[in-house]
Amino acid sequence: MNIRIGAVPLFAIIAVAIAVYAVGFASSYDLRVLTVSGIYVIVVLGYQFIFGYAGALSLAQGAFFGIGAYVTGILGSQFGWQFTATFPLSILVPALLAATIALPVLRLQSHYFALATLALGQGILLIAINWEGVTGGANGLPGVPGIVIFDIAIPRGLALLAFVWGLAAAAAALAWWIMHGLYGLSFTVMRETPLAADALGIDRAALRFVAFVLSAAYGGAAGALFVHTIRVISPEVLGFAIMVTVLTMTVIGGRTQIVGAVIGAILLIHLPEWFRGLEEYYLVAMGVVLLLVILFAPDGAAAYFGRRPTKAEDKSRPDIVPIDLRPGRKAGFEIKGLTKSYGGNRALDGVDLTVAPGEIVGLIGPNGSGKTTLANLLTGLDRPDGGRITLEGEDITGLPAHRIARLGIGRTFQTPQLAPSLSLVDAVAAAHAGNRNSDLTTAREDAFALLAGFDLTARADQLCRSQPHGVKRSVDLAAALARRPSIIVLDEPAAGLTQDEAATLAGVVRTYAANGAAVLVIDHDMTFLLPLAQRLVCLDAGQVIAHGLPDEVVEEAAVIAAYFGAPVISPASAP
Amino acid sequence: MRVSRFTPSPLEGEGWGGGYTKNFRIPRKVLMFAAQLALNALALGAAYALVALGFVLVLNATTAVNFGHGDTVVAGGFLAVALATLVPGDLAVPGLVLLPAILALMALFGALMSWLVYLPIRDRPPVTTFITTIAFGIIIANGVNALFGGAPRSAPSLIGSGGFSAGELFLSRQSIAIIIVSAILIGGLALLLNRTQLGRQLRACAQDPEMAQAIGIHLTRMTVITFALAAALAGAAGLLLANQFFVTPSDGGVLMLKAYIAVTIGGWGSLRGAVAGALLIASFEVAVASQFSQLVAEGLLYVTLFVVLFFRPQGLFGEPLGQRA
Repeated sequence: MNIRIGAVPLFAIIAVAIAVYAVGFASSYDLRVLTVSGIYVIVVLGYQFIFGYAGALSLAQGAFFGIGAYVTGILGSQFGWQFTATFPLSILVPALLAATIALPVLRLQSHYFALATLALGQGILLIAINWEGVTGGANGLPGVPGIVIFDIAIPRGLALLAFVWGLAAAAAALAWWIMHGLYGLSFTVMRETPLAADALGIDRAALRFVAFVLSAAYGGAAGALFVHTIRVISPEVLGFAIMVTVLTMTVIGGRTQIVGAVIGAILLIHLPEWFRGLEEYYLVAMGVVLLLVILFAPDGAAAYFGRRPTKAEDKSRPDIVPIDLRPGRKAGFEIKGLTKSYGGNRALDGVDLTVAPGEIVGLIGPNGSGKTTLANLLTGLDRPDGGRITLEGEDITGLPAHRIARLGIGRTFQTPQLAPSLSLVDAVAAAHAGNRNSDLTTAREDAFALLAGFDLTARADQLCRSQPHGVKRSVDLAAALARRPSIIVLDEPAAGLTQDEAATLAGVVRTYAANGAAVLVIDHDMTFLLPLAQRLVCLDAGQVIAHGLPDEVVEEAAVIAAYFGAPVISPASAP
Repeated sequence: MRVSRFTPSPLEGEGWGGGYTKNFRIPRKVLMFAAQLALNALALGAAYALVALGFVLVLNATTAVNFGHGDTVVAGGFLAVALATLVPGDLAVPGLVLLPAILALMALFGALMSWLVYLPIRDRPPVTTFITTIAFGIIIANGVNALFGGAPRSAPSLIGSGGFSAGELFLSRQSIAIIIVSAILIGGLALLLNRTQLGRQLRACAQDPEMAQAIGIHLTRMTVITFALAAALAGAAGLLLANQFFVTPSDGGVLMLKAYIAVTIGGWGSLRGAVAGALLIASFEVAVASQFSQLVAEGLLYVTLFVVLFFRPQGLFGEPLGQRA
């Protein structure tokens, strides 16, 4: 089942349904339940940033919600501050906390990140329970005022409901605005293929930071609205139950879709009402529902709402001719004395290598000779132990991968790195994500034209996950070329390709080099490499053992020895 | 020479000058107090070690965190509470009699858990397992809450209550029994993993599932056994902890967190590290709680965790790992 409906009619239907139910059928208790649903929409929208888009299992969302609630609760009940002052503070305080702890926490791997955020929540709960003078301790504080904006009070019932859902709609609009374009696409690439994100110039740390702070801000806003609704503040708002509820809503509704947040929040808040007959077992039922959804509908309810392709999109693709690919600027690179060890194993041992603009250099060598390590150091995926890498005289040694990518070094991978859930055209368009001057429409047009160069326009809208190997290789290269890098590093580009596919790929590479790019091709396949490369460099055990014209290098004894073993009669054993 | 009135002259007063160098030693009271703390910490740490071992066994088998592990301990505790009604009240060793039954029933429970929360989703990213185990934890915690109510309950002691006094030192029977039972269980686990064919197969699956499968090891069966072992250890820990410290349905979160922290401190995936981490946490908790309060101990534990993660994101003893989850 898949309901195809545009976003505008979908949200219009939801809004009308809520309005009709609220005005026509709901009791005052029902109104309150629906208001709380609207509050949860906001906290779930926030959680989607870090959990859905950034793909990090934060367990601090409940804590941010609770902190927002306590800021409003304490300032409102003890100091009589009004909504106009407390609401911004309820957003700001958790956001600042998130920004402060982001540095140590966000670089952790997923399981430590989950642990650290969980411990943060527990720590804050401890403070709330025990700092009785300020928080009221386990009993909390009564007398939180309602919402008053410039002396206009918003009474409970329909008015508060409309206000909360209005804010939820604004929060949704903001989330949509932030994520609808290339920026949202870069999150998908980061989440599904972190290596590709690095190679395409996407700053993963920055994306995670933004997502974490946004999630905290949304959580705080929702917490503030929550205490205005229930009018007391107690440690319950910091309990793990709220975190679990938000997680469940996000999983059940959908991790990145706005409609998912709405469905998840309404469903989960009303579930206790519908399961009331189960009494104390209703939380058990909630756990069962969460488990069943994860097992049988892992993408959540929102996955059943498909987006209808708009007519504008169909028209935006006239017969595009392959574009003339030119690097953004002409630049070569120089490597001097590069070394790298893994444990006690010298992967690279003082390697020198220069590639000039317009030149195609082949890098050969047996398995384990250090070819991929060299590519990883050049593109910043790993840091060298010693040596220098310069790009037109500029020292780029040890820069983070995304900075190097932005300076104009592109690469492909031995195993193509393509986000499985993206269409081919979006996988290539995502390469423009680091470019602030680009937008999704122009990025897609360019991606389409690039795909045309590989004869892939017919497949442009298919998903990467269902493509054959040859297509994935071509798309990987198209994405690497999308930023028009000055330098391109190809790691075994012909492996697993048919002869026709390899020929097409070689044609693209040759043209791009002829237009001024510096190209480094790592490969074993001499039938592919010999006609393509102008120079060959051979690595063995981390050292350059031969370099020069291709025909000369393959004839050299050292190269033959490296590939086929030492010659039978070596100089040392001769009499 | 003018000497300040407040500076005691070396010649006068026997209290400070003389005794300072001659008979310097730690007062007996302090020594006894420290020994008492060490004993208490060892008993608590032994029980925590069982929890942490179960946690790390599943972690190694699935590369995912079992968020329901703490709730499994709670389930074990309440199982002990429930079974205690079947044991005659005048029995000298009520808890010890229950232990085999709890190990067996919890092992079954663990096997069931693996079928529900892991086997159906083993091909999906580890985050999926996080969520299924959270869901399972919710079901346990709230199921227990519905059956037994939310009040703290106490399980029978292993070999009766009371204890012996040795000078100022109080050796509670329960503490000593906890230490002995835990040591036997941990030793048994070590024997199983290191000395038996089954143990080798389990370790092979944890280290390289694909290779293990390629040489004919039944991966699914090993996963189920791992979950069973983990739950049995958790159940035993539940029985051991639920006497002195009581058990409430909502305890699972904090227990899971402590196992998680123990494994983080001890080195991700290391069994010995898990035991060391558990003992460290228990010592920390007992020492801080004796000077301040349980609350300060818990708060400081989280702060310490953050400090450890800040300076050593790979854990205290762990080697840096690549992208794993």
